[in-house]
Amino acid sequence: MSPAGADDILLSVRGLHTWFELRRLGFVRVGFVRAVDDVSFDLRRGEAVAVVGESGCGKSTLAKTILGLHLPTQGEIIFDGRPVHGAADLRWYRARVGYVQQDPYGALPPFMSVQRILDEPLLINGVVHPAERLRRIQRILDEVRLTPVEDFLPRYPHMLSGGQQQRLVVARAMILEPKLILADEPVSMLDASVRVEILHLLRGLQAKHNLSLIYITHDLSTARYFCERAFVMYGGKIIERAPIEDLLQAPRHPYTQALLAAIPDPDPANAARLRDVPPGEPPSLLHPPAGCRYHPRCPFVIKGVCDVDVPPDFEVGAGHRVGCWLYREAREGVPATDAPERAWGPAPSS
Amino acid sequence: MAANGVLSAEDLRLYFRTNKGPVQAVDGVTLSLRRGRTLVVVGESGCGKTSLARAILRLLPRNVETYAGHLWLNGTDIMALPEERFRREIRWVRLALVPQGAMNALNPVIRVGDQVAEPLLVHGRATSLGEGRRSADEIFRQVGVPLDFADRYPFELSGGMRQRAAIAMALVTVPDVVVLDEPTSALDVLTQANIMNVLKAIKRDMGTSFILITHDIATSSEIADDAAVMYAGQVVEVSQAGDFYRAPLHPYSQALMASVPTLHETKALGFIPGRPPSLIDPPRGCRFADRCPMRFSRCSEEPPLIRVDEHRQVKCWLHA
Repeated sequence: MSPAGADDILLSVRGLHTWFELRRLGFVRVGFVRAVDDVSFDLRRGEAVAVVGESGCGKSTLAKTILGLHLPTQGEIIFDGRPVHGAADLRWYRARVGYVQQDPYGALPPFMSVQRILDEPLLINGVVHPAERLRRIQRILDEVRLTPVEDFLPRYPHMLSGGQQQRLVVARAMILEPKLILADEPVSMLDASVRVEILHLLRGLQAKHNLSLIYITHDLSTARYFCERAFVMYGGKIIERAPIEDLLQAPRHPYTQALLAAIPDPDPANAARLRDVPPGEPPSLLHPPAGCRYHPRCPFVIKGVCDVDVPPDFEVGAGHRVGCWLYREAREGVPATDAPERAWGPAPSS
Repeated sequence: MAANGVLSAEDLRLYFRTNKGPVQAVDGVTLSLRRGRTLVVVGESGCGKTSLARAILRLLPRNVETYAGHLWLNGTDIMALPEERFRREIRWVRLALVPQGAMNALNPVIRVGDQVAEPLLVHGRATSLGEGRRSADEIFRQVGVPLDFADRYPFELSGGMRQRAAIAMALVTVPDVVVLDEPTSALDVLTQANIMNVLKAIKRDMGTSFILITHDIATSSEIADDAAVMYAGQVVEVSQAGDFYRAPLHPYSQALMASVPTLHETKALGFIPGRPPSLIDPPRGCRFADRCPMRFSRCSEEPPLIRVDEHRQVKCWLHA
């Protein structure tokens, strides 16, 4: 990927840390939960990026920090060339970022009709004229295909099916005509047959309005149909970032490799074999392991390196960067050759 | 359709009473599970698959309107048994359940090891807690729970370990059949793969027969020998795993399969327009007809389960 011009970048995240203070008895500080730990990336206009990781890897905290729902402990968010700092910035910024929540029913106020749900963001953001508001509500409902619009306006969330509720959540995220949509597991609560419909809808809206999109998910297979790039998060850090097909064809980080190997496609042959699964569990974010956070589970761990220093990002291909010491020589164009014998599973592709 | 296999359901019905009328959650389900095999029941939310699990174990809420049909377990019709005999001799002795969401299935104030040993005490398989705990330890080893976890409380375990404990609790009495209701849907990818490995090993080592109820088609293929598809309270297709995952027959199964995103191969994804019918007043004919791209005049009559070949049955007029 060519280095994008500054104008091309919509969102720039620089050295973002979101740490939660943990106190005992209300005042004795015990430590910090390092949910997001030094995350940096650029998002271009009109680009869809998936943030993939398991529960507890910090992906939702990252989403909420980007939305301004958590204040970053350190680091900066630059949106459209303007750093987001104080309350005034935040107000300006939030009107330009849409949020699609995971659980549509939980995200919609049960006592408000569809019309009121969509009316409120407009009112808050100073669209005073009622006819103008109604026109915009009708237009957005039409776009998310909750039609005929007149039938849906007076309904309450419980009168909608799961798929329709999620369309309404998308409509609410879109009503202020944002430039960025942040979707946190938007389809994980939906049935398979509805899931694809919502993904198509989001994809269509994204293309039509040249939206940037951050898709937070644990599901690489939906990300594939949806995003150009993917970031893999583990233990609060982005450990690998690549164009999505690259990531699927040639994952570099041992964690990404393990993740991909664990995801089944529907295939009767699956029943005949056991899958390789790395031992252990994701690291505690309160006391993360020193060095690479994956090293206690990693079959290729290099003693004295991986357990000491945090790996920087190494460039292994066009737009493909990986935070793993195995690729430390790839920088000079030489593949790492001194990888030790692995303990389990297939050999790494490199 | 009598007693072949370890567990057979014949025209099983479970209707719930509501003030709008009876909800036909399980409506005439006929299925057969062969010994040592895994039958996967796939369906979307609201299709009645959890109600089917409850109907098999006779774990019924109070608002049951109709509970009828036959359930043959090793040739005995267990539907005919009175409640007390069912509790003493069948439930958790011969038929066990791994309920949905292991977090909620475990008692938060009892140590995991004691909970797993409890079915043995209740059913007189162990005379003391110590004896029960020794059998529990054996099961823990098989499902991969470290033994020092047995003295912990459920909240001290990770999701994967809790799920393993729930599986251990179902296996501790060495039942003939274990019904797994969405055993991995709340878990992470790696944990899910781990649990499927555990189930495969148990199947291999203990010869347990499983009924796996799930909405996750990709994961279900990890352990399936046979597959059944539920739609609107009815079974619409039964076949062997090899046929089902490669070439399902019912238009609903086909559409469902086409909507599953795949990671390792490229295909165009489809979705099913519309929504499933209400189970309070389901349509008279084929229940999928409204959403079916292959609908024709005959679909206004209800199709029977049509036998296509030795192992495949499909409830669709296209195969008549």
